[in-house]
Amino acid sequence: MASQRRKSRSESLTLRYAILGGWALFCLMPVLWFLSIGFRPRTEIITAQPIYWPTFSLDAFWMIFEDWPMWKYLRNSVLAIIGSVLIDLVLAIPAAYSLSRYTYRGRDDIGFYILSTRMMAPAIVAIPIFFLFRNAGLLDSVWALMLIYAAINLSFVTWIIRSYMMDIPKELEDAAKTDGAGDLRILWEIIIPAILPGIITASVIAMIFAINEFLFTLLIASTPNAYTMSVALANFTGGSDGLIYNAIALVAFLAFVPVFIVVVAIQKHLSRGLTMGAVKG
Amino acid sequence: MARIELSGIQKRWGKVVGVRDVDIEIADEEFVVFLGPSGCGKTTTMRMIAGLEEPTEGEVIMDGEVMNDIDARDRDVAMVFQGYALYPNMTIYENIRFPLRMREVPKGEQDALVRRAAEMTELTDYLDRKPSALSGGQRQRAALARAIVRQPQVFLMDEPLSNLDAKLRQAMRVQIKHIQRQLKVTTVYVTHDQIEAMTLADRIVIMEGGAIQQIGTPDDIYNDPANTFVAGFIGSPPMNLVEGAIDAGTFTAQGIEVTGLPAALSGNVVLGFRPEDCTVGGNTPHLKGSVFGVEPTGDLTYLTIKVGGQQIEVKADRAFRAELDTEITVTFDPARICLFDAKSGERLR
Ligand SMILES: Nc1ncnc2c1ncn2[C@@H]1O[C@H](COP(=O)(O)OP(=O)(O)OP(=O)(O)O)[C@@H](O)[C@H]1O
Ligand SMILES: [Mg+2]
Repeated sequence: MASQRRKSRSESLTLRYAILGGWALFCLMPVLWFLSIGFRPRTEIITAQPIYWPTFSLDAFWMIFEDWPMWKYLRNSVLAIIGSVLIDLVLAIPAAYSLSRYTYRGRDDIGFYILSTRMMAPAIVAIPIFFLFRNAGLLDSVWALMLIYAAINLSFVTWIIRSYMMDIPKELEDAAKTDGAGDLRILWEIIIPAILPGIITASVIAMIFAINEFLFTLLIASTPNAYTMSVALANFTGGSDGLIYNAIALVAFLAFVPVFIVVVAIQKHLSRGLTMGAVKG
Repeated sequence: MARIELSGIQKRWGKVVGVRDVDIEIADEEFVVFLGPSGCGKTTTMRMIAGLEEPTEGEVIMDGEVMNDIDARDRDVAMVFQGYALYPNMTIYENIRFPLRMREVPKGEQDALVRRAAEMTELTDYLDRKPSALSGGQRQRAALARAIVRQPQVFLMDEPLSNLDAKLRQAMRVQIKHIQRQLKVTTVYVTHDQIEAMTLADRIVIMEGGAIQQIGTPDDIYNDPANTFVAGFIGSPPMNLVEGAIDAGTFTAQGIEVTGLPAALSGNVVLGFRPEDCTVGGNTPHLKGSVFGVEPTGDLTYLTIKVGGQQIEVKADRAFRAELDTEITVTFDPARICLFDAKSGERLR
């Protein structure tokens, strides 16, 4: 009896791993496929017959780093994204604190207004923003990208953090107050640590949005000086060389890697963060 | 350390009335217990003393100074919250130390104070844990430790022992009283538990429906209830209350007749007598009814008698036994009888 139960248990475990493994493979397929394209010679890409065991080649790799300033693109991406997330947090945390903690006239309207900026189609504001940045002399710089990414993400970063803050019992702050803590200290020592998973979740989502951002980046980064990975990708689609598939694949992969590393590193907080809003305590 | 005065305190949220009309003066170093049913405004009153809630009307005065506009953090009170309110990201040690850090107690003294508070609440072994890794009772003790770690002007304790088992509760009760006497800190304490109120309090404040029903020493409250609410709330089982008519010093209700009462009273009244002031039998019994229940507990027997559709509780001798539904008579101690106005419920003296 007992041994049978143990056996069926280990069987179900195997099954579980098989299913999860299958799912993981399914999800990773595009990535693996990209890798395989990125690391094969150009001649093996544009053929009619499928090639199951391609030749390994670093052609594309050398090409993107030698013929294009790929490091610079990568650096631009990383700088603009990290900078924008920092700007967002600095602005969103106090805003969310205020929206979730104080009652004042028009609070809910302000909250909704902040969120509503996200509902607008980006194309509507593209032209005004272009002129705004041009007149401010901000075109073609990483700083401008930082600002624009921050602006795009600020609304939902504020919103996510606000919802986490609403879940913190008011008694916690009351306790800190009677213990003698001031508002800033309460924010810094009690609230922020308590909603860290939420802050991390919001940051990661903001990063992913930013790394995929294309329209405004193209608009504002008018020269390769401020190009990021996402715009650089577009560079491989035209010109005398035609579509350089293996280079595109490789660059796409490079754009994917930083986010992947970040997500894996903070995975623990992230999965907790995504569920915490729903289940209190 | 501080005198507290609540004068004409009211708290309303729109139409909801939390606290109706509270007037009380609490002496320096006094231990006052607020007792009352759930939702009667105990926590709200306490939060107004702490400065976490602003009274809609009235004044909170400490040592002669009106505190209404003084921030919670500047009032120098230490509070145990009903929901514990431990800081989830800090260990128990850091939780207990937090008020010391905020009040800028010298670094060198902090550790000893934290350990002393942990010892008093039997938490020494749990100092490195996060609150989420503690049981309900342990969390509650941590909340208590965080309050008693320093010597504030006022202790505010909102049901600080509600989640402990009987034995630990008794030990903590003694501990709290001891700390309060030692530190000489004015204490306001909220509880549902009568025993806690009786044993801890210098004075008990009975609240109901947002208003104070009676303020008095435990003896006053028990022996001299001001109205039917207090009489029916205090004691276990509480005072028996029987509605009837009084005329020329004689109270009559179905199955009950009591003579020799004040002759000045007439009309409808409520007669109150405690279960322990009753004797079964007697030559000139006051009450006649049938046995409804007999519950021996070892040191006494709870006897429930059915009289005129109402149940009367009597504490009988531990050897007392009776068949159900048999006739039984009871005599009261006339000196211990209380009379209340039938309409207002106020005590008639
Ligand atoms: N923020 C609030 N808004 C509206 N009504 C409130 C608020 N806080 C408390 N109340 C109401 O005020 C009344 C008193 O509440 P309070 O918390 O003081 O009760 P309590 O005596 O502490 O009860 P318990 O013993 O259950 O803790 C309750 O009826 C409650 O519903
Ligand atoms: Mg309460």
